[in-house]
Amino acid sequence: MKKQQHTDREKKKIRRETLSAYGQSLPSLLLILLIVIFPIIYTGYISLTNMNVYHWNNYELIGLENYKDALLVFDNGFLTALFVTILWTIVNMVLQLVIAYGIAMLLNTKGLRLRNVYRTLLIFPWAMPGYVSILLWKTGMYNSQFGLLNQWIQKLGGEPVRWLGSNVLAFISCTVVNLWLALPFMITIIDGALQSLDKSFYESAVLDGATWLEQTRYITIPMIKPIIAPSVLITTFTTFKQFDIIYLLTQQVGAKTGADIHTILTYAYEKAFITNNYGYSSAISILIFGMLLVFSMLTSAKSREEV
Amino acid sequence: MRRKGKSRAGALAMAVSLTLGMLTGCGTQPAAEESGEVTITIWHDKEEAVTQVLENALSELEPEAHVVLEKKSDLTEALKMVGNDPKAAPDMYLFAHDKIGVYAEMGILAPITDIIPEEELTAYMDNTIEAATYKGTVYQLPLYYETLLFMYNRLYMSDEEVPATTEELYAYMQENTKGGHYGFVEQHSTPYYAAGWINGFGGYLLNDQGEPGLNRPETEEALTYHKKFADLMPGETEYATVNTLFKEGMAHATIAGPWLIPTVRESGMDVGIAPMPVIDETGTPISPYMGVQGIQVLKNAAEKKPEAVEKVLRALMSDEIGTQLAKASGCAPARESCYEQESVTGDEVVMAMKETAGNAVPMPNLPEMDVMWTVTGTLLTDVNMSGKDVAESADRAQAEALQLIENMK
Repeated sequence: MKKQQHTDREKKKIRRETLSAYGQSLPSLLLILLIVIFPIIYTGYISLTNMNVYHWNNYELIGLENYKDALLVFDNGFLTALFVTILWTIVNMVLQLVIAYGIAMLLNTKGLRLRNVYRTLLIFPWAMPGYVSILLWKTGMYNSQFGLLNQWIQKLGGEPVRWLGSNVLAFISCTVVNLWLALPFMITIIDGALQSLDKSFYESAVLDGATWLEQTRYITIPMIKPIIAPSVLITTFTTFKQFDIIYLLTQQVGAKTGADIHTILTYAYEKAFITNNYGYSSAISILIFGMLLVFSMLTSAKSREEV
Repeated sequence: MRRKGKSRAGALAMAVSLTLGMLTGCGTQPAAEESGEVTITIWHDKEEAVTQVLENALSELEPEAHVVLEKKSDLTEALKMVGNDPKAAPDMYLFAHDKIGVYAEMGILAPITDIIPEEELTAYMDNTIEAATYKGTVYQLPLYYETLLFMYNRLYMSDEEVPATTEELYAYMQENTKGGHYGFVEQHSTPYYAAGWINGFGGYLLNDQGEPGLNRPETEEALTYHKKFADLMPGETEYATVNTLFKEGMAHATIAGPWLIPTVRESGMDVGIAPMPVIDETGTPISPYMGVQGIQVLKNAAEKKPEAVEKVLRALMSDEIGTQLAKASGCAPARESCYEQESVTGDEVVMAMKETAGNAVPMPNLPEMDVMWTVTGTLLTDVNMSGKDVAESADRAQAEALQLIENMK
């Protein structure tokens, strides 16, 4: 009987705490609702209407008409773009993790001088607006007339290269810019994770005669994995839905370079968003949103399994 | 315990005020006061030299009308969002004529002829009024216009060497494109620039019926002919590269907008301006697009403040403004009578634009044009930069354009 009373009280306490927790997070939940959820719902609503230049104020619900048209966008070109997007995500994530890990390890070398100076320098590309960085890379580095890379090549007696002119080269060039922009974040995260590790594990590993490689494989990586997992997941998404790097480097109207690499977003942009047809574009956005949702559920389920 | 309660309350208060703070940003601004003078807001994206002239002239309307010129960098997008919200929308805007189709279809523009009788518009150059007309209605009061110009650097190209025809230009390019120098550069794969060649062949990107003409024989001929010029230009030909090449003296001649002239003159270049070369194949000069800058009136303003709107428009119709704009910023006035003034006829740049305007084609102002820029850009890149077959690429681009136009509706 007494025990029963005890659990009742406990239950009440838990309920009260839950309520108070929700109460306290209510303002931010409301904000999220307003900033994140509402636009999605509104886009969903617009996707069911014929809102476009010709029906700007007098648009009406037209059911799933837009989705019927939108599915036409998912043609061969879209499949190629999807393939490029996946390749882009994999290549970028692998390179990012490996390089960031390497640099973070170096930053944590014992007895490293000026550590904070390096950290500040490394975070620098992140502090600059992406748009500016991308255009600086485009004109400052890759430009075939004035770019630094071609000036070096010409000094060495070579022919200028059009870095953004062909598909493979442009893909590599875009990847380099993406790494430049994304590495600071990854380095910071891995650096932080490394610093939180308990040094005693390594001491006993060294006593047991483990090599550096073994320490990395059996101690460092398994221990930092849960810490960096959320950031890696978020970065995977931003990489997957990358738009500005590829668009600004190769496809800006008036500055197309001849490379024909499309991610699903740049593809959808060229096929739909330039039409000023908001209903139709919204339908495509919702479909891509659905794909990202499925993709995120798959990856988060998998990472939960692993952790 | 008390302290804890206090800090919790404090945190809550902060959270609430933060939320409210963010939400108040979404509220609408209070409407301008109606009492006494009427305020007319004009959105624009123009340089200071232009707005200064307008502000001076419009300040004479005080105290009956108070005119505010407000610079908007994302003018076209902002208008789509707030165009029919009288609280947030401007009363007029100053912009190129090529967007009037979009806004007229959206139903946010008032016909100019509702305010200014049609016969008074005959004082304007015919093709500026043609540019300002969408589906038979005039939606813009033209102020000035601009066309691309053929410019050359006198350090390299003497006045006698200036090519009169495109074949002469080609010969000059062949001779002088070497060792990091280019005989001639232009943004060959940018639709706005390539259109001059296509128009000169009698082709078009979009006709006045809203039909794309990318795979018409004339357009294909132009693309094929133009390709040999593109081959003698650098691979990258966006705005910055082309203009820098010309400014740094690495390109002897270029086709560019009048806005480039002040910059190159500042750098000390003796820049010459010549008529567009005549295309040997057709006997027509390269015929670039013409952009007409002028005032559009929003429907709400025309209904609610008709007197003030008319006063502003009438003030902007004076010859004085045209001649002052020409002097201040090299703008070519849209009013025919301005060209009787010596200060205008003495301006080399303005007169070159007037001459080019004789052949220039007003940029299409139909909503369909929005998709044509991208599709044509891809076609030009395919042909000029990736070396793809002209006919095949043109067919593909045409199909794509038709599809996108279909999807606009």
